[in-house]
Formats: sequence, structure tokens, C-alpha cells
Amino acid sequence: MANAPTCLLELRGISKHFGGVQALDRVDFTLQEGEIHALLGENGAGKSTLIKIIGGVHQPDTGEIRINNAVVQIPNVRTAERLGIRIIHQEMALAPNLSIAENLYLGREPRRFGLLDRARMFRDAERLKTELDLPEIGDVRTLVGQLNVARQQLVEIARALTGELRLLVLDEPTASLSEAETEALFAKLRRLRAQGVGIIYISHRLEEIQRLADRITVLRDGRSIGTQLAAELHIPQLMTWMVGREVKDRYPRPPYQPGEVVLRVRNLRAPGVNEVSFEVREGEVVGFAGLVGAGRTELARALVGLSPIQSGQVLLNGNPLRLRSPREARRAGIVLVPEDRKREGLILTRSVGFNLALPWTRLWARGILPNHVRRAAIIHNAIRNYSLRPGNPNQAVNTLSGGNQQKVVVAKWMEQPPRVLILDEPTRGVDVGAREDMFTIIGQLVTQRMAVLLISSDLPEVMNLSHRLVLYREGSIVREGPAASFTPEEVMLELTGVTAEGKPHQQLGTSRGSSNKDGK
Amino acid sequence: MSSSEHRDQTANSNAATSQGHQLLMMLFKAGQGFLPLLAAIVVLLVVFSLWVPQGRFLRFDNLVDLAQQIAVNAILAFGLTLVILIGGIDLSVGAVVAVAGVVSVSLLTPAGPVGGLLSGIAAGVLFGLFNGLFAARTAMPPFIVTLATMLMARGFALGFNESRPLPISEQQHLFLALGNERWWGWLPMPVILMFVVLIFSAILLHSTRFGQHLFAIGGNREAARLAGITIATHEVLVYVFCGACAGLAGIIHAAQLYSAEPAAGQGYELNAIAAVVLGGTSFSGGVGSIPGTLLGAIIIGILDKGLNQAGVHFSLQYMVKGGVILAAVWYDVSRRRLSR
Repeated sequence: MANAPTCLLELRGISKHFGGVQALDRVDFTLQEGEIHALLGENGAGKSTLIKIIGGVHQPDTGEIRINNAVVQIPNVRTAERLGIRIIHQEMALAPNLSIAENLYLGREPRRFGLLDRARMFRDAERLKTELDLPEIGDVRTLVGQLNVARQQLVEIARALTGELRLLVLDEPTASLSEAETEALFAKLRRLRAQGVGIIYISHRLEEIQRLADRITVLRDGRSIGTQLAAELHIPQLMTWMVGREVKDRYPRPPYQPGEVVLRVRNLRAPGVNEVSFEVREGEVVGFAGLVGAGRTELARALVGLSPIQSGQVLLNGNPLRLRSPREARRAGIVLVPEDRKREGLILTRSVGFNLALPWTRLWARGILPNHVRRAAIIHNAIRNYSLRPGNPNQAVNTLSGGNQQKVVVAKWMEQPPRVLILDEPTRGVDVGAREDMFTIIGQLVTQRMAVLLISSDLPEVMNLSHRLVLYREGSIVREGPAASFTPEEVMLELTGVTAEGKPHQQLGTSRGSSNKDGK
Repeated sequence: MSSSEHRDQTANSNAATSQGHQLLMMLFKAGQGFLPLLAAIVVLLVVFSLWVPQGRFLRFDNLVDLAQQIAVNAILAFGLTLVILIGGIDLSVGAVVAVAGVVSVSLLTPAGPVGGLLSGIAAGVLFGLFNGLFAARTAMPPFIVTLATMLMARGFALGFNESRPLPISEQQHLFLALGNERWWGWLPMPVILMFVVLIFSAILLHSTRFGQHLFAIGGNREAARLAGITIATHEVLVYVFCGACAGLAGIIHAAQLYSAEPAAGQGYELNAIAAVVLGGTSFSGGVGSIPGTLLGAIIIGILDKGLNQAGVHFSLQYMVKGGVILAAVWYDVSRRRLSR
């Protein structure tokens, strides 16, 4: 202890905004040499932005970065690499049309007489593979596009470990690795730590962090909330840091008068969905809580015929449905408000009115001439009933705020309301006011006896708005029950795969390979 | 320790002996990819040797003539291969052929043959730079940017000599030699120039870091960016190279015709794109090769000349060419999907 470890990286007061969104707000962060420092936080908490700043991809608006106590600028990726900083990004950063070896040395290819030295590149790659003890990578001449996700991940890891390395950042590296591969990765990280490399490790899996990290820092809403020593890890405290928003926000839970079962799903299997069974009653909000990548979007897509149902049954009012397209789902009475409203929910460049009237062409555009009176009535009703602002039907949708855009996506279905409404992340990227409007809308729909399926990664939101809660992990339901019977800590633990005592679930890791990113 | 050293040594000696072997393997593997194209060329040669009267098609002087006709299109296509490989497009190359011709010919007298030559290439480089800067630095799609520069370049060329051809004086031996000189009495200068550009662009694309980065940009832009590759710079340089190729092609074309025609090169961009695509370069980027493009240009050349000499009506020639392109790319795309 007399020999205090050197501070490898120090961030002071880092802020960064994108447009109107404050991604990071005066964040302080330190990393010692030979330390594994876990970075925790919900989606959108600012973790990815922070590491992109460290890696030279983004520039901070304010604040300073120090490496070994010297202030540095990291204007680009090359500078970061020269400083010994390597980042394994969450999204695959490999070129599928190039071989493993070519990807490993991308941007720093060996040369001979000014020309590319392919032979040496392949040789070096082979040697690197042995050095890093990653025989699973396989033939380094294989095209990366032909590898499965786990092997691609290994290539990314190997890539980060080439050359001089002082600071390694891993952003959810185990999302697609098997248990054994994860173990191998951890062994490597510990070896690097022993060599004095500083490691920043981002993960949702508390169990992993517990086993690996020395310190843990929690980010929330772009701020650094606190740092703990992993040895003194206190999970409830961590949970409060991560989700602790319920004190701030108010959620009006809609009145609960459940009626008949409207939607019954039995043993449903679809891409990313494993044997899921549940039911939703009229006048009921069923919340689907889970981490990003848990497969909830896949479930929603299967329910509206966007992805093929492999086995199982979907019954609406007791009648089995054959869902082969969103058109059929809609005719049956199931409608999805998709997660990515800009890409999947709206025709962005057209007007509010155009978007509101689009689902109802069969009402106003039958025969030769369109019925403009009918069309105008549909638009007018939607604008009035859902208090869309501004209420000008001729305004282009992309000039509206995120919240009002979201309201358009919901309102456009309500000329003849569906029986089941699936909301996928309805408040993502929406400001506080519009968020409350969205809650009010959900309340209205429930009073109209609609059955609502609410998918949300915002824990306080999904817990407080839903009548019943379904906890969803890796394509299956892990638990369900009345929403009021769960505590946030419990839910978070279930979703991340650890029990309240901090012990990992026995079954963890068995079905890990199949989990996909939501919406991808 | 000692065992690992030993392993190292054997690995090294293996590497030394296998390097030549590796190269052969690589060539062989690459050659395999070109087999369908080579087969298509053989089939076309056989077809036209039977179809064209008196077996004229396969005669030596006819083949040399064919090579000469392929040269200009091939040079354009080499430049375009790089552009298409990174997911871009350059529609302006045909018009730049005309610009380079009129600029170099009108500067021949004041600036001398070398000055004329350089000014023609410089004109191509300038248009390439313009295209590249707009494509790389703005959100404008390269299709639109180069459509606009195509019109601008055409207008610029038509502004010379009231749109009439500019004749090249007989005294400009050096300049005219670029299009008409035959080495050893038979090898046309344009073909030699084509081979120079072929070798240069093949090395640039397949054996330099720069080329490697182009493949990365075409395959996954984000990955290239995160690997620290300066995408904008690479993009600009690619368009500049394409413009330079168009400039050179324009000069050769003018020399071949003994005059620079402001209306020259119309539709050349389409023939060049056809050659690139036939050669296996993917329009979505990241896949392609210079040797493939050469083979593509040869196929287009054989079709053009063969159908002509076989006496096929020109309306039918267009239709056959379109059909061949469609069939070839369809075959290529479905083969690639199978191997995924």
C-alpha cells in the first residue's frame, strides 16, 4: 500500500451534448494502472459516449483528459491508439469482406518496400493467435463475414490486443460469448491487469462485474453517480444508483378493471423467442421488462406477423390467428407502435395529416376520387383526441418534437381502435412533458378497454404503468406477476441474472448465445 | 522455452519455403474467381470466330485492333473500379474524356506536347477533385454530384471551337503517337498505356495500405472509421484517380481520332460501368478487383466488335449487350449469395 498505484487515466468535468441532448454532464472518472474498472448504467446513461471520447471518436465540449497526470488531447482514433488506448466497441467494427488477418491489422498493415506485406500479415496474425491463446479464431484467411458473432467478437478482442496496450475498453464484450469463451476472456483480462494495463469494462451483467472488477462506477442520465470498490459491493445501493429515478418522476397507473382475456399466447417460438406463453386482458397493461437484447422486440415483431412464427399459438378472443403479415395482424386487431419511430413508424418527410390518414385509405380513398371530407375528419379527430402540437395537419412530421412524433404514431391507429396495442419503448428519446402525455394516452386507451402490451427498458416506467409485469431475459419469460408485487431491486437482479444474495443463477449462460439485440 | 524456439524456427523456414507457394495459391484462388469470366471470353471468341464471315474475327490484326478499341474503356473502368468499390459512382468520366481532349489539344501549340498532355490529365484531376470533395464532404449522393459535373464538363467541352472538332496538326508526332504508334510494328500504344494503368491500379488497390483501406471502407465504413482510417481523404483521392484515368483516356481518344471532339465520350461512362460490374465489382461496395475489370472490359469489347463485324443491326447490338450484362451480373449475384 505504500506504493500507491499510478493514475493511468483521469477525466475531469467531461461534458458532451448532441443537438439538444446532454449525453454527458461534468463526468469525473479515474482509472489506475492494473485496474479493472466497471462502468454501469442503463441504456442511454452515457457509457458509450464516454468511451468514444476516450477513444478519440468524439470530442468533449468541456473538461480535460489526463493520462499519467499529463493533459492530453485525443482528436482522433490514431492518437488514441498511439497513446495505447484500445476500444472494443459494442457494435461490430469489422469489415466482413476482409479476412481475419486483414481485420486484425486494419489501419496498421505491415509493409515491405512501401507495399502491403500480406505474407507477413498472415504470419503475424497466426503468431498473435498463438500468443493470445485464441485458437478458436481459426484460419486467419477466413473472411470475417463468414464467421458467427462469437468468433467475430474474438477477432475484435484479438485486434484490440495487438501492439502496445495501456488502456483497454470493452463495451459489453460477452453479449454473444458462451460461458467457456467468457471464462477465457476473463482469464486474459486478469493477465493484462497483472501486466499493468488499465481496463474499463462495460456490462449489464452484475455477476460478471462482481467477479472481475476492482471498482465500479455508475452513470445515470449522463452523470457520474458514484464509485464503489467491488470488494465492498453492495448491490441494493448499486441498484438505487442505477434506477433511482422513481423519486423524481410520477407515474399515474391507469385504473385496473380487467375484463376477458383478449390475447393469449401459447408456447410461441419465433426468431429470438423461446417458448413464450402469456395472456393480456382487456383494460390491462402488461409490462415487458428486460435489458436491451433480451428479445422483447422480436416477440413484438412475431405478434404482428413481421417475423415468422415457428411453433405455438396466438389466440385473439379465443380464436387462433395465422399471422403472416402486419396487414393480417392489423385486420385481426393487433397493432405495433415500433421502437424506431423514425424508421418504422412514420413517413418522416410527409405531413402530419398524411401520416394520420395513411392507415385508413380504405375509408377515404375508395373508388376513383378520394373522399377529402372523410380524410380531413380522420385527421381532425386524431389531432384533437391526442392533443397533437402543433395541430397543423400540413406540417412535415420531421419538424415535430420526438414526443409529438410518437403521439402521431399512436394516434394514427385510433380511427378504429385495435383490440391489442403493442408499444415498444414508447418514451425513448421523448422529453418529460410528452412522456406524461404518453402516460395519459395509455390511461385513456385502457379505459376504452384496450389491451396494452408495454415494452420498456425504463424500469420505473414499466413497473409503475403496468398492472402485470413480465420479466423477460434471453428470449424467455423468467417471472411474471402483479406489478405491485415487485421491487425495483428484485427486477434488476432478475434481469441481469443474479439473485438477491449476489449469487449467480445456476442456469446463467446456458442460452446466452441466442440473445440478439433488440430491433436488429 | 527451447521447444517453443524450435517451433518458431520451423515455422520460419516453413514460411520461407511456403511464401512462393502461398503466392501461387493466392493467384490460383484469385484465378478461380475469374474462371467464369475467362470462360465467357473463350465462348464469345469461339462464337464470333464462327459467326463473323471468313473467320476474320480471330485473325491477328483483328485481335490487335480489338485490343486497341478496348484500351480507352478499360482505362476508364480501372479508375471507376476504385470508386465503385468504396460505394461511390462517377458518371462524369465520359464528359471528362471530351474535356481532356479539347483542353490538351487546344494547349498543344502554346504549351508543347508535354504541356498539352499534362494539361489534359490535370483537367481530369480537377474534375475528380471536385467530385471527390463534394462526395466526401457533403451529404450529397455521388450519383447526383457526378451527374451534375457530367453536365458541367460536357458544357465546358462544347464551349471550345463552337462545338466543332479541333483537328490535331500532323506535326504533333509525339501527341499523335499516344493514339497511333505501334511498338515493334504491331503493339498499339493505347494498349501499352492500358497495361501501365492496369499494373499501377492493380498494385494500388491490391498491394498497398491505401487499397486495403478502400476495401475496408467499402465493406464497413464504420469499422474503417473506428480503425482510424481517414475516410474523406481516401474518398477524395479515389475520385481524383478516377478523374486522372478519364483525362488520360480522353487524350488517347483524341490522338486516335486525330482531333479532339467536344461531343466525344458520350455514354462512355456506361460502358465503363458495365465493364466494372461484369468484372465482379459489387455496387454495394467492398468487393471487386482490377483484373476482373480488365476481363469485363474485354467482354464488352468483344461483344461490340464481334456483333458489328457479324453484321448485326445496331439496334439489336444494344439489346444483346444489355442482356449479357443482366445475365452476367445475375449469375454473379446468385453465386455470391450461395457462398454466403
